[in-house]
Amino acid sequence: MLRYFLTKLATLVLLLFLVSLTVFTVLFVLPGDPAQIILGIHATPESLALLRADLGLDRPFFAQYAEWVGNLLQGKSALSIHYKMPVFELVASRLAVTGPLALLAMVFAVAFALPLGIYAARHQNRPQDLAVMAFTQAGLATPEFWLGILLVLLFSVELNWFAAGGFPGWGADAWGSLKALLLPAFALGIIRAAILARLTRSSMLDVLREDYIRTARAKGLRERTVIYVHALRNALIPVLTILGLQLGQLLAGAIIIENVFFLPGLGRLVFTAIGMRDLPVVRDVVLLMAAAVVFVNFLVDIAYAAVDPRIELH
Amino acid sequence: MKRLLAIALVLVFAVPFSAFAAETPKKGGSLIVCVGDEPPGLDPTASASAAIDRVVYANLFEGLVKVDRNGRLVPGLALGWEISPDAKTYTFRLRQGVRFHNGEPFNAPVAKWNLERGAAADTKNAHPEFFRQIEKIETPDDATLRLTLKEVNALFLFQMAEGDAVMLPMKGWEDTAARPIGTGPFRFIEWRRGDSVVLERNPNYWNPALPHLDRLTFRFIKDPSAQVAALKAGDVDVLGWILAPEIARGIARDQRFKILSGSSTSEVIMSTNNKAKPFDNKLVRQAMAHAIDRKTVNELVMLGYGTPIGSHWPPITPYYVDLTKKFPYDPKKAKELLAQAGYPNGFSARIQLPAIYPYAQKAGEVIADMLGRVGIKLKIEIVEWGFWLDRIFKQKDFELSMIGHAEAWDIGIYANPNYYFQYDSAEFRDAYQKALRAASEAEKAKWFARCQEIVAEDAVNGFLFVSPSLSAMKAEVMNWWKDYPTIALDATEVWWNK
Repeated sequence: MLRYFLTKLATLVLLLFLVSLTVFTVLFVLPGDPAQIILGIHATPESLALLRADLGLDRPFFAQYAEWVGNLLQGKSALSIHYKMPVFELVASRLAVTGPLALLAMVFAVAFALPLGIYAARHQNRPQDLAVMAFTQAGLATPEFWLGILLVLLFSVELNWFAAGGFPGWGADAWGSLKALLLPAFALGIIRAAILARLTRSSMLDVLREDYIRTARAKGLRERTVIYVHALRNALIPVLTILGLQLGQLLAGAIIIENVFFLPGLGRLVFTAIGMRDLPVVRDVVLLMAAAVVFVNFLVDIAYAAVDPRIELH
Repeated sequence: MKRLLAIALVLVFAVPFSAFAAETPKKGGSLIVCVGDEPPGLDPTASASAAIDRVVYANLFEGLVKVDRNGRLVPGLALGWEISPDAKTYTFRLRQGVRFHNGEPFNAPVAKWNLERGAAADTKNAHPEFFRQIEKIETPDDATLRLTLKEVNALFLFQMAEGDAVMLPMKGWEDTAARPIGTGPFRFIEWRRGDSVVLERNPNYWNPALPHLDRLTFRFIKDPSAQVAALKAGDVDVLGWILAPEIARGIARDQRFKILSGSSTSEVIMSTNNKAKPFDNKLVRQAMAHAIDRKTVNELVMLGYGTPIGSHWPPITPYYVDLTKKFPYDPKKAKELLAQAGYPNGFSARIQLPAIYPYAQKAGEVIADMLGRVGIKLKIEIVEWGFWLDRIFKQKDFELSMIGHAEAWDIGIYANPNYYFQYDSAEFRDAYQKALRAASEAEKAKWFARCQEIVAEDAVNGFLFVSPSLSAMKAEVMNWWKDYPTIALDATEVWWNK
């Protein structure tokens, strides 16, 4: 177990190093000058040069890279060029939106996907199954931003049950903040439920053909026990893998839904930061996302061991 | 007949008066204004970004002089000013008893410090030249500020009315980008990054009658359909600066809202690289000017809300000359000119359009079609904003592009041969100098008109239209600016009629 952790940790460090170098290089060679974006197209060349020096953009590649990594290792945060506040604080405030949003979306996804998938598997090739499959097909074909807009039109513009978007902040209005996440999380969740439901169904079908299930049925166990205790546990392994990937992806991939609902989330932060060439923000967020994906996958590995005793962590 | 005239006269004078009387502004209320772009910091003296001015100009910060809703210069922190006969010395009488939001007094020494800060060697100001033209700053007393310019500059007062020249306090100015402190009618409460900037009424404002609102919030929503949803769901009260005119029509049909459509200072031009072949040939540029049907461009791109232009000057700015008839739409003439220039069969070129401005992409497509009809085949390329600034604006590596030049009084960019469209004309530079140094109003008008004519005659860029100042709001929002003669969303006089 310890060795497993150490290997994982070493992989994580190596990966983050490679990501940091790649991100830095890409941003370094990318056309676009933060100083010009800040000062606008009417700025004089000398104002531009002054600002560039002030931002440290006039120094050589390795000096800039070393400073960034050095600061990160010491836990020192750079200042966002756009927002004039420490990047760590900025990212933390955005994670307070995107984190709960991604979790809530996954809750919606799982709450829909598991029952539907199991239900479809139990009624394979019967009308019930076809209905579920039709739903998932529709879900796969629906762009999430479009579903988001439809939800806004119905629940905000017509019925006035929800705000059309925005986020009041957990400190200011906790219930309002939760409410603000419901529609976007639903839009994200329902689309992901479509994929998960299909996966649950096929995984369940595979497991239900296994010998031990036949044994379980033969010894006279109730069907509910067979499905939920014996079959589901094994059927969940591939589902967990995808769930982990989706969660990691949601941290950054909610950009579009965050734009539709104008939520101040991490995806929108990195999107604006790239446009504004807010380099300190882009670097740190990309690094954080890479770390998050690795970390979530690590958690998934542990979860495997929990659902399947045959898997050991080496 | 006489009686009729009398009635008409009575009506003419009575109507505006009664309209005014019926609308006594009510105090109080909170207004949420939606704008698309979140400002890169809140310090207008450290960036020329329009997004900053739209939030803070005249709401939070004031300069000596202000631009009012009609484009006129009005007193800001200066009560008035006198200009010496040689037009080099400006004596400002400053308002007495003005305090910054942190309690510091504003007076002549503070003004002097601000002007010197803008001119300093390490200034962050995007326009240090506004301040470096001042040779001498005198403060005979706290209420008098006397500035002597190195040279006459007809635009000096307009420059002092820009966001770059607003007044900051001598203590607590360092953190202006994050925690701005000004003298304006609203003071800063909070900037919720990614969401909004919240301001509240300044109870110690020098004009006790203003502002009418208790609270003013700017909310940042980029996506046009999300903007409409936010307005219709009641999350915001005003859409302050609509970039996608197609959403205006849908809102206009709804009784709960109203649309204000005025004019702005943003000239949308097909930027043309005057040093790149074949656009270095004046005949080619003139041929393109004849091949563009401005009225149709305005209809298709702006749904007719824009105002066609024939030169680089907004119609709401003083000294405007209408040059839209200079190159009327005439494809036959365009083909003749192309043949004269040596391109009887036309040519191919590339037009690069910045992705962040929807109007630029739409206009690019319309223009590509129009130029295609006279044999100029355009290849459209959509580019990201950072790329645009780097390759097109800085490295001047382009043939054609499309962009709105938002600043007022910016025709001076044609006097700079290194500016990205690389127009080099001694005649223009001479006319522009004469305009700047003009001592009388008549001279100013004459030479600024000449500047517009030269630029139009040389067809430096494809002059298309001035962006509309389109805003949408709840019907009860009163006194919002219709035209935007400067880059600002000034809510000082706005009030709720409910």
